[in-house]
Amino acid sequence: MLKNILLTLSFILLSLSSMSQEEALFQSILIPSELIEKSNSVVRYDVTNIEVKAYNKYIYTKTRLITILNKKGNDDYGAAFQYDSNTNIKKLEVKVFDAFGKELKKIKKNDFQDVSAVSGSTLYSDTRFKYLDYTPITYPYSILLETEIEYNSTAFFPSWMPLDGFYSSTQFSEYKISNESDVDIKIKTSNFENYAIEKHSDFHYSAKNLKSLKPESYSPSFRSFAPYLKVALKEFEMEGVKGVNTNWQDFGKWMHDRLLVGTEELPEAVKSEIKSLVQGVTSDREKAKVVYNYMQNKTRYISVQIGIGGWKPMLAEDVDRLGYADCKGLSNYTKALLKEVGVEANYAVIYGARNITNIDSEFSATEGNHAVLCIPSEKEEDYIWLECTSQTNPFGYIANWTDDRDALVITPDGGKIVHTTSYSAEESLQHTTASILFSKEGAIDANVTIKTSGYQYALHEGIQTLPSNDQELNLKEYWDYINDLNITSMVFENDKDNVVFTEKVALSAKNYAAKSGKRFLFEPNIFNKVTGTPTRYKKRTLDFEIDRGFTDQDEFIITIDGSLEIEAQPKDITVKNKFGSYSFSIEKVSETELLYKRTYSLNKGYYPKEEYKAFRDFIANVVKLDKSKIVLISKS
Amino acid sequence: MKTIIVCLMLGITLSFQAQNFKYGKVSEEELKETINPNDTSANATVLYKKHDVRFEYRESDGFVQIVEVHERIKIYNNEGFNWATKKIRLYNRSASNSEDLQELKGYTYNLVDGDVEKEKLKKDGIFEEIANKYWKYKSFTMPNVKAGSVIEYVYEIMSPYTQIDDIYFQYSIPIKTYELRVSTPEYLVYNNLLNPRAAYVPNLVNSKANKSITFTSKQSNGTGAGASTFSSSKSNYLDNVISCNATNVPALKDEPLVDNLDNYASKLIMELSMTTFPNTPYKTYSTSWEQITKNIYDDPDFGDQLSKTNYFDEDVDALISGVTNPIEKAALIFDFVKSKVKWNEFYGFTSESGVKKAYNDGSGNSADINLMLISMLRYAGINANPVLISTKNNGIPLFPTRQGFNYVICIIQGDGFSALLDATESYSTFNTLPLRTLNWQGRLILDNGRSTWIELQPNVVSSDVTYLNAKINPDFSIEGKIRNQKTDYVAKQFRNRFADANPEEYIKYVERNNGELVVSELEIENARNVSQPINLTYNYSTTNEIEEVGDNLYFTPMLFLASEENPFKAEKRSYPIDLSYPFNDKYVINIMLPEGYEVESIPQSKKIQFNEGQGEFTYLVNENGRFLQLTINFEMKTSLVLSNDYEIFKNFYTSIIETQAEKIMLKKI
Repeated sequence: MLKNILLTLSFILLSLSSMSQEEALFQSILIPSELIEKSNSVVRYDVTNIEVKAYNKYIYTKTRLITILNKKGNDDYGAAFQYDSNTNIKKLEVKVFDAFGKELKKIKKNDFQDVSAVSGSTLYSDTRFKYLDYTPITYPYSILLETEIEYNSTAFFPSWMPLDGFYSSTQFSEYKISNESDVDIKIKTSNFENYAIEKHSDFHYSAKNLKSLKPESYSPSFRSFAPYLKVALKEFEMEGVKGVNTNWQDFGKWMHDRLLVGTEELPEAVKSEIKSLVQGVTSDREKAKVVYNYMQNKTRYISVQIGIGGWKPMLAEDVDRLGYADCKGLSNYTKALLKEVGVEANYAVIYGARNITNIDSEFSATEGNHAVLCIPSEKEEDYIWLECTSQTNPFGYIANWTDDRDALVITPDGGKIVHTTSYSAEESLQHTTASILFSKEGAIDANVTIKTSGYQYALHEGIQTLPSNDQELNLKEYWDYINDLNITSMVFENDKDNVVFTEKVALSAKNYAAKSGKRFLFEPNIFNKVTGTPTRYKKRTLDFEIDRGFTDQDEFIITIDGSLEIEAQPKDITVKNKFGSYSFSIEKVSETELLYKRTYSLNKGYYPKEEYKAFRDFIANVVKLDKSKIVLISKS
Repeated sequence: MKTIIVCLMLGITLSFQAQNFKYGKVSEEELKETINPNDTSANATVLYKKHDVRFEYRESDGFVQIVEVHERIKIYNNEGFNWATKKIRLYNRSASNSEDLQELKGYTYNLVDGDVEKEKLKKDGIFEEIANKYWKYKSFTMPNVKAGSVIEYVYEIMSPYTQIDDIYFQYSIPIKTYELRVSTPEYLVYNNLLNPRAAYVPNLVNSKANKSITFTSKQSNGTGAGASTFSSSKSNYLDNVISCNATNVPALKDEPLVDNLDNYASKLIMELSMTTFPNTPYKTYSTSWEQITKNIYDDPDFGDQLSKTNYFDEDVDALISGVTNPIEKAALIFDFVKSKVKWNEFYGFTSESGVKKAYNDGSGNSADINLMLISMLRYAGINANPVLISTKNNGIPLFPTRQGFNYVICIIQGDGFSALLDATESYSTFNTLPLRTLNWQGRLILDNGRSTWIELQPNVVSSDVTYLNAKINPDFSIEGKIRNQKTDYVAKQFRNRFADANPEEYIKYVERNNGELVVSELEIENARNVSQPINLTYNYSTTNEIEEVGDNLYFTPMLFLASEENPFKAEKRSYPIDLSYPFNDKYVINIMLPEGYEVESIPQSKKIQFNEGQGEFTYLVNENGRFLQLTINFEMKTSLVLSNDYEIFKNFYTSIIETQAEKIMLKKI
């Protein structure tokens, strides 16, 4: 009896105390101030529970209360859910509260916006989205989300990021998996050490009072320093296909056997056509080049994602008939063609993006957003990588999209992680030469040639396919510091064999040099100026990264009108440090001719935050030196 | 004799064309073409387009609209590949209120070793996507497309609606041959208009055609099962036909700072104005602006929303109690609506959920908010009326159509004052409206339903005045103070961007791309007090404005405030430049020179004008011992620069940039 009373009492006390805590949560005015600092939103309480029922089924429940502090936080609800026929959204409900915890609105599942996930370059996808569309009427306000979703496809498992992203802090976040199946679960945690995160068991973690982070220029991606937990089942199901995943080797084997095998059959006519095209070609590399070129001329990129088609390539014979496919289909088709001419190639899964993102070599999971092809050789650094979605890329050229990162290569024996081609600062060269006439009125008339190779080739070659109007505007933007620029001719040459792009431009600008009475202030670096200085931070908080190195070399011959003479000119200079190097010199070639030479290179590197100031000072100095002036004065 | 030959030749041309564009048959010439000789920059060209709109009578549904499209497109290069994919939007509300796409078929043609190869569009290239609760998309992508391919497809859209979508004559690629035919039964009377602002004008031909409807009726003989007979009756009527055979239609090309490119596209706009079915009274829809506004006014989602007061009366009574000045009352109510009901970013001139619900929920579309504002103002005894407008992205209302409008704002008028109000944005004020609404004219509706046009283009000059003090130190760093005042639209733009942000954001904005500039002690006055101008003050210091070359010092007097880049880079322009509002940028600059230096040269004072003072730039320099004073003023009295004036305007702007770049030179004493 007594026991019972005690129980009841403690129950009442417990619920009371939890009530008051809960009430406090609903009141935005009670958020600790250090969580508000630099935040657009504060995750007040976020609890994720995942029950793994079997290798092909888990139930995801989430209760999440987030306070939105201002309109920039309106994207932080976290109330958007992707679904398809393998997803059953059992419960989805939102309540909105004002700053004092008063309920403003209740939104039920059927009042969520329901839209197809087709966007951008995708033509069709059977995936849909349900998302909350709410017009805030006052700030701050809080959104309470409660959801329960059953997943019958387990290839993708929800990860945990106790910090949502930049400008968002977290008061409390918890993540728990209960395994009711006989399947083993793998977990990997990253960057937990610097944050207040508690481990309750291998599958249960919580985080408290994580302050928000602000992005800074040149900072690496959020995931590379924010706490992050990822999970994968060692046995899973993808759209009805059972898979294994203990490591990259067996995951890759599964992909090969279940997704790739049997997709490579080609029509006889194509087989003989491609064979006749490589007749007489001896080296594998040259054969592959012929095949790549054939594929580029025959196909185009169209993305259609249906069912397992999100991971399984379209049949090679369909690609051949339709002449289009997505990255998977085109890579697999090219692989089939190569096989036909006796060149072995492997399908590879990768992250395609300008930013360098690796497939995690230490943790196998369904990762990546893109597929490419690689032709192996003895040494991994000699692998040839083929971007099959491009009709214009030179053979083996992958800069700016899939370069310098770990990819998962699928071989018949299984998967392995291989690093893709990286373009060194030395080979990523931009060489600008020009001859310039400087008139007594302050005008310039010039012929410029820009040659780019390596990674810099990718930054320039895009101009060749633009309409001529836009080509002209593009060049005017490139030299946006030259006022009233007039382009008189432009010729582009694309040497795909050697991967060199050449732009030859003739131009003039009426009042190039700034006037000061009877003097002209002439900046000899006319065609390759660094104009932007990196942002200054009173206190830099994040490390920084230069993800690709490059080298610029410039040589300008400047002929100055005979009626002018040099009154003053800047001194030659050379600067060198760990970030890169810079130098320029001005040499008098004849009575009226000057040769201006400049080199500038930046090295690829990852640097601690303490060195940011030195880096910024270096670039600021380059900006200043690039504006160096020669003072010209009339002889008479 | 001469005329006969001409006629004969004409006949030949016509039959030649008819043959040429038969579905399923392309010529070798079409496949061999590598560029469009009339527009060499075109990545693709529509070789042939047929657009046929007609109405068919169905006994179950009445008149249904059928749009038949046939397009043949030449793809010259890879950049033209996106023309091989097409996405058609169809209304999809319910089974009976949906549009349907049918009879879609297509071919891709390639020339392979001199032979024409055909590849059929199959089911695996056709997709249907339910986008949301209103729309679905039918998309398809053509097979086997390469540089040089010709693609061809035909389809029909069946619609239960009498509303005819705008018919475009122009794409962003050229069209070689265009055959249009629009047949509408005499019972459906349309207003037709070609976009008068388009540079390309097609030649339309009007005619009539005979049509008939056959009605079948079942009559029972009354004596048991199966004993009924069918009779049919025929009714004759006329179709009004608009047709057009156009050739070599130029591509529509985009340019920066165009208000809305669609405003300049060549298109036929058709609006149902009246139905005149036999044995039924006439029903008019849109014969005149007057009639359209009357119809809108009679719409319960418009007029009725203006007369409801019971949901707010107590709140408004409390709000304005004791206030007698009508302008003060209006300001109180305007602020009240802005803070009470937030815009859900949906446009519309009719209420979405009703003003009362919007009031209680705290959110609504543009009509919910502004109709509520009007009824509150009227309740308070102020003469307030709705103004129907078309926002910039909706184009210009060209002729009387209900679709011409998509938004409503409010006007208040009284003794000696008149102001436009839009309560959808917190930082809009009397006569300072969201930029989306500043689109030529709006239609003012009086409370008796009568209406009239009013101008929406702002004529008040928004000003941005900066006082800059600068002291040059012995180490050639500069420090000083800036005071800046912004009014009207300039203030509103500032508020939209910075009023709710951390002040750090503005400091970053000023410091960005200005090297070693450091801004401190920023104070922002009236950031949210929209009745007053924005006042900004801050201190600055910089080390990279003065350049020492030899023994001399050089700097531009506007320091980091000078604009260095001319945004107008193109040589020519086809459409007007939309600057949104008239403005005046003024700088008053005081510079104290360092000890031991004197002025060697200084820019000259000058005045530059654009179009007889529509734009004016003045640059006044005053030297007084160690002190320099400059007054620089740039004013645009108009916000629209016509394409004919582009070159002059570009030169005007270039001179401004060059003048701002001129340097002061100091030399050692």
